[in-house]
Formats: sequence, C-alpha cells, structure tokens
Amino acid sequence: MLLTSVVLVLREVLEAALLFSLLMALSKRLGISWRWVSVALIVGLLGAAIYGFNIDIVSEWFDGVGQEVVNAFLQIVIYALLCLLATFAARYSRGFVVPEALLTMLMGASVALAIVREGAEIMIYLSAFVQLPDQLTSVLAGSAIGAGIGVSVGAVFYYALLNLGRRAAIIIGAVLLTLVAAGMASQAAQLLIQADWLPSQYPVWDSSWLVEEQTVTGQLLYALIGYEATPAPLQLFIYAVAILLIIFIAGIFGRSRGSAEVSHA
Amino acid sequence: MLNRVCLTVVLVLAIFAVQAAAPVFEMEIRDHLFDPAELTVPAGKKIKLVVYNRDSTPEEFESYELNREKVIMGASKAVIFIGPLKPGEYPFFGEFNPKTAQGKVIAK
Repeated sequence: MLLTSVVLVLREVLEAALLFSLLMALSKRLGISWRWVSVALIVGLLGAAIYGFNIDIVSEWFDGVGQEVVNAFLQIVIYALLCLLATFAARYSRGFVVPEALLTMLMGASVALAIVREGAEIMIYLSAFVQLPDQLTSVLAGSAIGAGIGVSVGAVFYYALLNLGRRAAIIIGAVLLTLVAAGMASQAAQLLIQADWLPSQYPVWDSSWLVEEQTVTGQLLYALIGYEATPAPLQLFIYAVAILLIIFIAGIFGRSRGSAEVSHA
Repeated sequence: MLNRVCLTVVLVLAIFAVQAAAPVFEMEIRDHLFDPAELTVPAGKKIKLVVYNRDSTPEEFESYELNREKVIMGASKAVIFIGPLKPGEYPFFGEFNPKTAQGKVIAK
C-alpha cells in the first residue's frame, strides 16, 4: 500500500508542483509579491476536495463522460490563463504599466486550478481508506512521502531557474511556460478524444522504445512538456496550435501599443 | 486565415461525427480485480468500453499504452472510448490497486 500511494501521489503532485515553481520563479524574477502562493494553495485544495467528493455526480454528466469534459475544460482554462500571463508578464518586464494584482491573480488562478485537477484524484484515493484504519496509516505515510518528493523536485526546479542568468532565465522560463501551457491544451484534446467528443485516430508514432511514459523521465517530461509516447494526430495538432497561439498573442500584445513607458526593468 | 483554419477543423469534426456508433464492450471490477482481465476487441475500430465497479471503493482505470485514465467511483460505472487499435496487446491497470487490478486489451 505504501509504495502504491507514494507513486500515485507523486504523479499527481509533480505536475502542479512544476507549474507552481515555474510561476514562483517568474514572480521572484519580476519582483512580484508572493501573496498569491498561499491563497492558490488553499483555494486549490478546497476546490480539489469539493470536486473529488462530487466526482460521482460529475461522472454522470454528458452520458458518462462528465469527468473528461470537466477536466478538459479545466485544462483549457489553465491554458488561457497562462496565455494571458505570458502576455502581461512580457509587457511588465518590458516596462509597461501592468497592475501587479492582475499578474498575481493570473498566477494564483492557474495554480489553483491545476491543484483542483490533480488534487481531486488524491482526495478520491484517500477517501477509500478512511473506513480502513489499519491501512490508513501506511497510505497517509506513503502519500506524505510522495507529496514530499514532488515538492522537492519543484524546489530543485525553482532554484535551478533562479540560478540562471537574467537573459537565460527569461528565455528558458518563457519556453517552459509555453510548453507547459501547450501540454495542458494537448491533455484537453486527449480527454475529449477519450470522451468521443473529438475523433479518435491511430497514434502518429510510438516513442515508448525511447522514453516509456511510466518511467521517472517519462513522468517528468509529461509534467513539463506534456510528453505522450503514443500521441493522437489531433493531440499533436492542438499542441502545435497552442504553442503558436501563445507565441503569437504574447508576441503581439506583449509589445508596445503606444502605452506609456515606465522604466523599472 | 484563422477563419479558414477554424472552418476546416469544424468540417473535419462534422465528418467524423456522422460515423457509426462504436461497438460496446463491458468489464467488471470486483475485489480489486478486472473481469475479464483479458478483453479481445476488433483491431482498427473505435470501442466503447463500459467498466462497472462492483466494489465499494473507487478505482482508477489507467493505461499508458491506450493513453487512458479515468476514476471510477465505488458501485458505479464508467464509459471510456478506446482505439482504433493496431493488432497487439495493450496492458491496463487499476491505479488505486495496481498489485491486483491488472489486465490487457487484445486487439485482433
């Protein structure tokens, strides 16, 4: 039981933790307050509990594919929030007037939603053991270890990002933000294919000989760039569109539009 | 340009939407075991998989090979669309009880 819960919780925590540390590093770089961190954590966990305890109702929606549709919706909203964040962060770092509250709200909301999505599954898993006190201790211990490893990976990632030079940090941070966001969009596509809302097709390739999804590398790549060993064509298409769209939007609106320049960069 | 892309996507989706309904295959979870643990399905077709969880505890249907993941609460059922699959074996497992809940889809 112990090992199962370590692996399960780690998998779920990793994705949210990487987004969390990426945005915390961005916050630090831009000199924005960290008030959003605790709020996002609390709201996210509350949301995860509410979602998790109502999953049986949600599952019944849309002829039994409510879970997929709601999760896909959450992923799309996170993608949209990250698009806006990339745009306004670009403006902010170039010295344009951007209310700090807007940036903190975008960061907080995207992290909170990621926690809702990933945390709900942990809540459901743990709920099964509340009636089984003899197993509960080892499950909780395992979950704590899994969460601890996930948070540690996030911390390592955070310090690695902060230790880069300013220019490298901006480029790598922007690339990672784009890929994480595109990964969200591609997961939404996968969920809608699973729900039969989008057409299913043969996978484009099978790269499991290179990196298997269930390995540590596979899980890290999944969390970071949305890696799938056997992606569907539509999923790849949406991944590519998501990358181009965020670059396009942040590229156009992240630059000058005649707004007053304030130098604090 | 963007309009044209959107239109094309909508048209492609519309074409797929009129395809015939997928054949249904059913499976049970009982005492953290899948029954049948091996499910033979036709290759090259989209399949509607209905999984009934007869246990009182939740389970999560998970398969890296099928690219599928779905929570199934206790005493409820879940609909999961899979495929089209090339002939071969596609392992799946219950993520909440991976030691016992193991199975595979065999596409022929």
